[in-house]
Amino acid sequence: MKIETINPEILYFSLFAAVLLLLPLGVTNNFYLHNMIMIFFWATLTASWNIIGGFAGQLSLGHAAFFGIGAYTSTILYLKLGVSPLVGIFCGGVLSTVVAAAISYPCFRLSGPFFTLSTIAFGEVVFLLSSYFRDLTGGAVGLLIPFKPGFMNLMFREKIYYYYITLALMLVVIAITHRIANSKMGYYLISLREDEEAAKAIGVNTAQYKLYAVMISAFFAGVAGVVYAQYILFIEPKTVFSAELSTQFALMSIIGGLGTVAGPIVGAFILTPLSEFLRAWLGGSYSGLHLAIYGVVLIAVVLAMPEGIVVWFNEIVRRIKARTSKQGEVNA
Amino acid sequence: MTQFLQIVVSGILLGGIYSLISIGLTLIFGIVKIINFAHGEFLMVAMYLAFWCVSLLQMDPYVSVVLVVPAMFAIGVATQKIVINPILKAPDVMQIFGTVGVGLVLQNMALFLWSADYRTILTPYQSINFELGPVVFSFPRLATFVIAMLVSIGFFYYLKHSYTGKALRSVSQNREAALLMGIDVNRMYLIAFGLGAACLGFAGCLLLPVYYVFPSVGTYFGITSFVVVVLGGMGNMKGAFLGGLLIGLVESISGVYLDSTLKEAIYFILFILVLLFKPNGLFGIRES
Repeated sequence: MKIETINPEILYFSLFAAVLLLLPLGVTNNFYLHNMIMIFFWATLTASWNIIGGFAGQLSLGHAAFFGIGAYTSTILYLKLGVSPLVGIFCGGVLSTVVAAAISYPCFRLSGPFFTLSTIAFGEVVFLLSSYFRDLTGGAVGLLIPFKPGFMNLMFREKIYYYYITLALMLVVIAITHRIANSKMGYYLISLREDEEAAKAIGVNTAQYKLYAVMISAFFAGVAGVVYAQYILFIEPKTVFSAELSTQFALMSIIGGLGTVAGPIVGAFILTPLSEFLRAWLGGSYSGLHLAIYGVVLIAVVLAMPEGIVVWFNEIVRRIKARTSKQGEVNA
Repeated sequence: MTQFLQIVVSGILLGGIYSLISIGLTLIFGIVKIINFAHGEFLMVAMYLAFWCVSLLQMDPYVSVVLVVPAMFAIGVATQKIVINPILKAPDVMQIFGTVGVGLVLQNMALFLWSADYRTILTPYQSINFELGPVVFSFPRLATFVIAMLVSIGFFYYLKHSYTGKALRSVSQNREAALLMGIDVNRMYLIAFGLGAACLGFAGCLLLPVYYVFPSVGTYFGITSFVVVVLGGMGNMKGAFLGGLLIGLVESISGVYLDSTLKEAIYFILFILVLLFKPNGLFGIRES
């Protein structure tokens, strides 16, 4: 079989998916499954952020808002009206999308750091409002979802179900990112990221495509929020709307490789276990250290390999290949 | 009426410190053309430095200025040299992440080293109040305000009349022209970032007698200083000065009538609106 004829990206993706699909056959320990689920969450969220932050270059530091809106929508619908989270997933995703479109459209006229400032402020507004409307959201205390296992409630005793749900979600987001990257839309986004005026001049409707990007991005963040709420069964403004969360999406993405398909996944797969490891290693004195280390890594990436790990790694592979092929020629 | 007067007074007293913090932020933006997303965290560091001066060296918080301000200047210069200089020509994303990274490191190292405890100091004069007509002034707040005003005014004077100040202003107006006039632009960047951080050194010492210090204390002041700077027009020093007083006033007045959470939310909504519709700031003055 000629392996060259297969698109290597699709090949890697299939291998990656196959390994993760089969992983639970060997790993049944709940602790490891939980860690994998958390990695999938982070990867999904980071990849969704990457669509607007990486491809379109609109650096949002308020993305947690969409995650939280998803989580709160389905939870409130379920607790107050008894609506199944299966419907809630759809509602959460759509509401996030609508809010994202409404708030981003006017803010897109701000460029660079000013857009970022507006997203920080937006994230704070959503966080504050969710604490303020106590009747609806339970305020700072949060909402507890009573555990009633069942498919309709999207709650399960076994972690394995959540493993496959979050894995599927992550794979879908990767597939969609790949699709965007290789479509006209991907090129439009990259062109407007590199030079918005030039992109407009050659006829790219930049406002429209930025809007599409933020809507897709927010939809998946919202859906991930719903699944998160059904997995943890407890949500509070401090965890689902925190500015820290927003920073981490951006951070994992940039460390892995901004605006690449694999970057956010690599970022999440490296940084999530790192923080778990630090937690286990340092125990009680752990607070803050993982974020401090993230910060150091972030500065290092910004200074030393601004394209992120994925591009840096590809470059090294390319060099090694070039060297070995040269040696091959010499030997022959 | 008396109550209202009291609210106005405490608002303006509060605003003085916002002005000082915001002048630092806007100075850095005006000259280095970078938004320092770690501004609040630098303030937090300054407050901790002042706190350690008081608790370990038994200094008076106002006297600790002599150690904290030079230390903050040095930290600012070091940040500019190590992190900012290499990314001056990088895309926006990298510049934002450079300073976000610095903030992340500072805040979480503080959390790791000094824990999340709220710390405060006791001063012999903290409960001294005096009355002027119907209005009560608390001594530390008044002192904080007066010193903040003096520092700000001294700072304006320095920028206006000293050689370095003139050089700094010329860099903010036109990098290339300043370079052609023989000004060492890179040195000016170092000085600008250092001075911006030094403003926070003052602010940290002045805040300590009237506030708590904890690792995320910078978040609130940092965000407020962004609001002030945007209101005053980015890079506009006088705008930042007036904006600080205005925000202090707004905060104090709305604090009486609104739930504090809702108040903050409205605050940020206004911030977004100003960003969108008044990008040159409320006062509409452009720094010439």
